[in-house]
Amino acid sequence: MEKQPKISFAEAFTLNRRAAKLLWDKRPGCFISIFLTNALRAIAPYLTIWLSARIIAELAGGRDPQILFRWVVITLVSEALIALAVGLLTRWTNVEKQSLRPIGDHIYAEKMMDLEYADVDRQEVYDLYSQIRQYDNWNGWGILAVRDIFEYAVNAVFQVLGGAVLSVSLFTRMLPADSSLAFLNSPLSALLILALMLLIVAASSFCSHKRYGYYLTMGDDVLYGNRLFNFWADTITKERGRAPDLRMYSQMENIGDLYLAYNNSFTTSSRIAKFAKGPMGMWEGLASGIAVILTGVVYLFVCLKALGGAFGVGEVTQYVGAITGLFLGLNNVYKAGNHLQLNATTLRLSFQFLDIPHKMYKGSLTTEKRSDRQYEIEFKDVSFQYPGTDYWALRHVNLSFKVGSRLAVVGQNGSGKTTFIKLLCRLYDPTEGEILLNGIDIRKYRYDDYIQIFSVVFQDFKLFSLPLGENIAGATCYDRARAEQCLRDAGFTGRLSKGLNTYLYKDLDSEGVDVSGGEAQKIAIARALYKDAPFIILDEPTAALDPVAEAEIYSRFNDIAGDRTAVYISHRLSSCKFCDEIAVFDGGKVVQMGSHDQLLAETEGKYAELWNAQAQYYTEPAEGEKP
Amino acid sequence: MKPKQKPTYNMWQNTGFMLRLAWKNCRSVPALCIAIALASAGKTVVQLLIAPGILSKVESRSPISELLIAIVLFSGALFLLSGLEAFFRLNSSFGRIELRSRCIQMIVDKVASTSYPNTMDTAFLNMRSKADEACSNNSSPTQHIWDIWTDIITNLIGFAVYLVLLSGLHPLLLLVVVGTTAAGYFINQRINGWGYRHKEEYAAYWKQIDYLQHTGTNREGAKDIRIFGLRNWLDEIWNRTITLYRGFLERREKVYLWTNIVDLLLSLCRNGIAYAYLLWLALSQGMSAAQFLLYFGAVSGFTQWVTGILDQFTQLYRESLDLSTVREFIDWPEPFNFQKGDPIPDGSKGYEITLEDVSYHYPGSDRAIFSHLNLTIHRGEKLAVVGLNGAGKTTLVKLACGFLDPDEGRVLLNGQDIRRFNRREYYTLFSAVFQDFSVVEATLEENVAQKMEKIDEQKVWRCLEEAGLTEKVRSLPQGLQTHIGRRVFEDGIELSGGETQRLMLARALYKDGPVLLLDEPTAALDPIAENDIYQKYNEMTAGRTSIFISHRLASTRFCDRILYLADGKIAEEGTHDSLLKMGGGYAHLYEIQSQYYQEGSEYHGKAAENILR
Repeated sequence: MEKQPKISFAEAFTLNRRAAKLLWDKRPGCFISIFLTNALRAIAPYLTIWLSARIIAELAGGRDPQILFRWVVITLVSEALIALAVGLLTRWTNVEKQSLRPIGDHIYAEKMMDLEYADVDRQEVYDLYSQIRQYDNWNGWGILAVRDIFEYAVNAVFQVLGGAVLSVSLFTRMLPADSSLAFLNSPLSALLILALMLLIVAASSFCSHKRYGYYLTMGDDVLYGNRLFNFWADTITKERGRAPDLRMYSQMENIGDLYLAYNNSFTTSSRIAKFAKGPMGMWEGLASGIAVILTGVVYLFVCLKALGGAFGVGEVTQYVGAITGLFLGLNNVYKAGNHLQLNATTLRLSFQFLDIPHKMYKGSLTTEKRSDRQYEIEFKDVSFQYPGTDYWALRHVNLSFKVGSRLAVVGQNGSGKTTFIKLLCRLYDPTEGEILLNGIDIRKYRYDDYIQIFSVVFQDFKLFSLPLGENIAGATCYDRARAEQCLRDAGFTGRLSKGLNTYLYKDLDSEGVDVSGGEAQKIAIARALYKDAPFIILDEPTAALDPVAEAEIYSRFNDIAGDRTAVYISHRLSSCKFCDEIAVFDGGKVVQMGSHDQLLAETEGKYAELWNAQAQYYTEPAEGEKP
Repeated sequence: MKPKQKPTYNMWQNTGFMLRLAWKNCRSVPALCIAIALASAGKTVVQLLIAPGILSKVESRSPISELLIAIVLFSGALFLLSGLEAFFRLNSSFGRIELRSRCIQMIVDKVASTSYPNTMDTAFLNMRSKADEACSNNSSPTQHIWDIWTDIITNLIGFAVYLVLLSGLHPLLLLVVVGTTAAGYFINQRINGWGYRHKEEYAAYWKQIDYLQHTGTNREGAKDIRIFGLRNWLDEIWNRTITLYRGFLERREKVYLWTNIVDLLLSLCRNGIAYAYLLWLALSQGMSAAQFLLYFGAVSGFTQWVTGILDQFTQLYRESLDLSTVREFIDWPEPFNFQKGDPIPDGSKGYEITLEDVSYHYPGSDRAIFSHLNLTIHRGEKLAVVGLNGAGKTTLVKLACGFLDPDEGRVLLNGQDIRRFNRREYYTLFSAVFQDFSVVEATLEENVAQKMEKIDEQKVWRCLEEAGLTEKVRSLPQGLQTHIGRRVFEDGIELSGGETQRLMLARALYKDGPVLLLDEPTAALDPIAENDIYQKYNEMTAGRTSIFISHRLASTRFCDRILYLADGKIAEEGTHDSLLKMGGGYAHLYEIQSQYYQEGSEYHGKAAENILR
């Protein structure tokens, strides 16, 4: 993480305001409720201060029982009413604040789902997002923090206002001119005392700031420590597939515990803990100690004025309460400003993420839903580099296929097979060359329309922990009969207690089913069939299957594809035999193209090499000699 | 609200547990709790006294010097106590974090080393999540308990001091204060119980929200979401959940409003009585305004202390339930022997593993995987295990390597029951590559050696060479010190499927265990890489007892003996040739796979189906 340049207050404010606007658009009620609740909460204590000052004043003065009784009743009733109002408002605010939490988080999910795939796939984007999450986890900074800063600021501002209103008269009420303390009447002494109080607040803030500086010195260490910790204390012990290795290789004892022991960013032996015993602790203590000296100064000034005869004992409590509150409020306003600035560092990352633009050109042509499914795809001299690399994942690919045909794509790991598919369904655009659909560059079609014509079962396809039927249809309302038909067509035979309503996996429903790899694959195929797109693409669909299940998929392949155009990617060359045409990829290029027999005839070709690597086990005379 | 069953440990025992932990690891923690409590209670007392103390000087028109001394004394005391409290609080967090980390470490070590069957036991896993929750952050019970005790001590000190202060007043007033406070507390407890009674519902909403958030922001589903246009679907579910969640919050807050009403009524009552009594004292007994202020402040303060004590003990009781889960988890019974066991027999002549009359079924399932299975894997024998998914291949390996213990029968190593060994020592015999593997976020070298200290670099290079990974490692600027994975290290690299396979192979070579286990290690590889890996494995098995599981029947040819498993039985066994001649299940499977490769054979879907039937 590179050091961010310091953010000016103006910029910090703008960033926070933008974040607040985002949240305001989602739930304005949250801000309204927070405002009302905290304004009232900040003001209420002053009312109590004022009323009890009246009682004290009367006690120190006339001691008229009737007046005292009246003030006590007013105090009790108004306190009860305010408590009721604060109670009602607090409940409302609680609902608003707590329901804003998932909404604020979801802003990122919305963006992530809206991003172009090329961006989602970029490591930097992913790292950026993890960084935002980490800041949120570590100290709560981010978009949602704006809600809390706002709350804090409203409270502070009203604290200041209330305190100011109640303490104005402290400066206007004069001592009798003959008093020995009459010098307190001069505006200069009032200014001096105010300056002294401001100085105390400033000194306290300065100490606080000094102390905070020690935390900043460790920022990145903490993030690293957190990641280390998350991996060794969480990930590795929760991913079930790791359990065997963890035991066979004593990974925790031999590696994990040692890494965890290095990570002492917050323990008693950490650098920060040493600071805390020394200078950092001193600053912390001073910040706190100096702040309370303010109380002493306030008492001094107010009591002197009272002693001189400017006002009575009752007012002393009022002024002390009001001024103390006022300066506490000022301190909080300052802190709120500080929070704005601290939050801005994270917000800058948040907006960097939220502002990632759409870069793909999106045309306006419709793909005209042809009932005859007459489509033809052509790759014209297509080359592709993944963003940020200078390696050609695909180079000068020329290839075309027609509707209804069966195309197999074979090649070694890393030869460009999957990249070919990603370009075909426009998850990426070619770096050079063009892809044509019925003779027109695919970029000229409406994106949503274009993507409609493909159904893909990716190698790493993903099913969701939601009901089976919804998974197949990708919607909450769907054609149940069709979903069931698709499941049957995909060869899914599992019997589920609640049929299509059965949840997959147990994440959200303890009665959900844990489907095996093979079954999951069939469900993914059913999903592809349900979409009923003219092109169906299967990326290595048999990796998780045993020979019988594999043979079953092969045997159904023609039925599955039906009148659709099918593209089939596989390591297992045996599956290519039923394809009309086979494209052999090697190092990003299409090196061979033709039917199985044609390709095998080219004995020096890549296809023959791949084929023989597998076939040797099956075709050599089985004499038991080693391969 | 009441827990269904009594927790194993009560709050005093759990406090004792944490104190012992502190005694062993960080003794400053309890000491700081007391220090903070003293400073904090002291500060509150001074704050109570300051107004009446200074006011009395004004009221009695004392000389200015007296007033000044009073102000300086009070300010000085406040300065000292506030400063100390802040200093102690800042310093307290480190030790507490350290102790919480100790708890996490205990949980993690337990998970990482517990008997393998426990890792499949949902009760164990659920207990783990609960134990985790008790340690998840600075306000989790394993750390928060120190805050609770600090508060309890503070409140007790405050309570005692105020009791003395108020001792001059009529005891009935104290009774009213304690009575209204306690009544408010118990009524609110009942009302707040609503949240406790509905916490499952609350958790269910969050589970769904978290899942959808994770799904939306994760790369894994990004392709499917785009191709199948799943966003509307996911958004619809999210919106539905949020609406329900908000409805839940509204219901809850409506109930909780009653706590505000109860509080305001009771404090109206309490303050009314206090005012009436104190005013009567002032008017008829001549109590001064300063004293009135002191007593009225003390009555409110006293209420706070009583509430504090009740609240904190309730909290302690509640969090103690969570602490109990941590301890129960750590004490979770281990079916395997991890204590000192019999010494592992000498293996200089190799090892022989025998499954003797073994029966096994997975817990919670009534299907027996094996019943009365007998198998001996001889010294230096290369054994292959084949069969359909679900035939029990992986289970067989897990029984042999001591991840599972049979329900009946025994597993023997050179004739000795493996249950008599320390299981951890037994594991050292195996070099294993399982279907799923654990590549750790560490350097490449550490991934090969599987340790961090005393790594034999020469040997690492040798193993990399044998695994065919030297070229790749040489191309990395950091070489052996390259970090693997990006979850921890920002400069980490991701290995491809084939490279990871080779790394796993190098790792197995480095361990150099006398028994080799390979469970379907090539599923994701292309034919050439696959073939290459087979060759490597073949070389590796020399001189070792080995078990090899594969879907690719032909790849097992280099083995001395092949077991064909079907329905939990060894249906056929022999060499590749003899099994083919037998014309049984193995031959059928082989035929299915090989037909595609037979030169000139035409594929007919129907043919395959016929074979299957």
